[in-house]
Amino acid sequence: MSRPSTAIRFLAGAALLAVAACSDSTSPTNREPLPVVRTVQPPDLGTLARAVPGFGGLFLDNGVPTVYLTDVSKRGPAERALSGFAQSRGFSPGEIRVLQGWYAYGDLDRWSQAVSFEAFDQGGVVFVDLDEASNRVLVGVERGASHANITSLAARLGVPAEAIVTRDVDPIQYAATLQDQVRPVVAGVQIHFGNFLCSIGFNAVSGGQNSFVTASHCTNTQGGVEGTQYFQSLSSQPNSFIGTEVADPVYVRGRKGTACPKSRRCRFSDASRAAYAAGVPFTLGGIAQTSGPNNGSLTITGTFNVTSEGDAVVGDIVNKVGRTTGWTQGVVTNTCVNTGVSGSNIVQLCQTFVSAGVGGGDSGSDVFGLTGGNSVRLLGILWGGNGAGTQFVYSPITNVEQELGPLTTF
Amino acid sequence: MWTWGGAAVCGAALLAAGLAPVTTYAQSPDTLRFSIVVPDSARPGEAVPIALRLTNPGVRPMDLYLTGRSITFDIIIARPDGEVVWRRLQHVATQQILQVKHLAPGETLELTDRWHQRTDAGAPLTPGDYVVTGVIPTDREPLRTTARLRIMSRR
Repeated sequence: MSRPSTAIRFLAGAALLAVAACSDSTSPTNREPLPVVRTVQPPDLGTLARAVPGFGGLFLDNGVPTVYLTDVSKRGPAERALSGFAQSRGFSPGEIRVLQGWYAYGDLDRWSQAVSFEAFDQGGVVFVDLDEASNRVLVGVERGASHANITSLAARLGVPAEAIVTRDVDPIQYAATLQDQVRPVVAGVQIHFGNFLCSIGFNAVSGGQNSFVTASHCTNTQGGVEGTQYFQSLSSQPNSFIGTEVADPVYVRGRKGTACPKSRRCRFSDASRAAYAAGVPFTLGGIAQTSGPNNGSLTITGTFNVTSEGDAVVGDIVNKVGRTTGWTQGVVTNTCVNTGVSGSNIVQLCQTFVSAGVGGGDSGSDVFGLTGGNSVRLLGILWGGNGAGTQFVYSPITNVEQELGPLTTF
Repeated sequence: MWTWGGAAVCGAALLAAGLAPVTTYAQSPDTLRFSIVVPDSARPGEAVPIALRLTNPGVRPMDLYLTGRSITFDIIIARPDGEVVWRRLQHVATQQILQVKHLAPGETLELTDRWHQRTDAGAPLTPGDYVVTGVIPTDREPLRTTARLRIMSRR
């Protein structure tokens, strides 16, 4: 559950303490005019609990200040204690919404601390929260983890069964970048072999073998299988070995009657396949997503999902995600281009050019088109770019599968 | 169709005999020293040797993140007003692999090529002053440094 009032516990306590000292409805003689606390800072909940009988929590319900009281007929102290807060949010004290609470804040606080102290010994607990918006103790557990353990723990600690709610949630992780270790492995993240860095193009299953595809030149030798060992994201990290090269067709020399120019070596794709090591988790069809195209961010904020494969035509807008320049997007400018590779005698046949950013380390990246929401159409494997880093070159997925064999990619 | 765009000559000695080299330096924030070495002048039509040098002047080793299996570098020849007349990586597709290059203390990495005093279109150049810029792509901002070159008049 979101925590609209997380900060409420920690801020502005002193001001409310002054208010609370003057707000005991059982002591009419102390009823002096309350100072108006005109603050945008939310009040301290512990202080409110002491000042407002039966107080069970404060939160904003669609912007409206809302409190739980175990006795809803006693809203007067709540109005007085929260008048400044309500006014700072544009509401009069009389507009404060009061909900029936079942548990006093002090009890919830004590129970949540007791549960928190022991719950993290149970497997899969993500968080323990005094949830002001539900007047309960909320425990988040990873999907698949036991709820019963939490229920048993609560009973042993004397927490009423109805006062604790257990919910399946995703684990909370540090914000990872495309250059960090990412599990399950998705496309677009950094891979390391020898003294080189590249990116993963896409995950695939080939003949029952769990695999990923990257560029052929992102192997120990471009063309031919040498069993290149890959690490994600660096070999120096623990548990970083992810797989071994298993498919990388050799480049063939040009001769009359073929598409390959004379004295050159050719293939239709700069692509290779590596088999995942046993136990390495990966997401079939998953491509790391950053906050937006062409903004330079490398922080992973979500996942694209491959739902189809296809080809692009000139004028199409396509994307790539790679470890160096992140998510870039641009227009297809040329298709089926026989492309010489600088510094070699290699010609890649029938490649696609895109006017979009690229940088060293993006080799092997996925290239895809957006089809709606997070769904994408897989288009190919990026391998090259121009000197200015403003144009990238990729091998179409049709060429990749022509050379690596049929691949299940989603 | 694009064709293969010229060979990189890496690490070869290049300075033409009889021409005094001009060396300029660009200092990167992490003390890496990047310099370009060109003759101060050249006779018309003569191939001009150009060297880019990356030096680790420190006492600790450095890891450089450079592009390409053969390290990619660009040389840009421009007139003083900025008009580019030749670019080494013009119309060239380079592999976007990243190489972690270890540079020991005091070690220098040298990348060399020759410019044949032709424009990108292959036309000969007129005598005059030119600005020579060396660029080495990294996985962040490229390293960049410049020097001046005079193409002498025919006699």
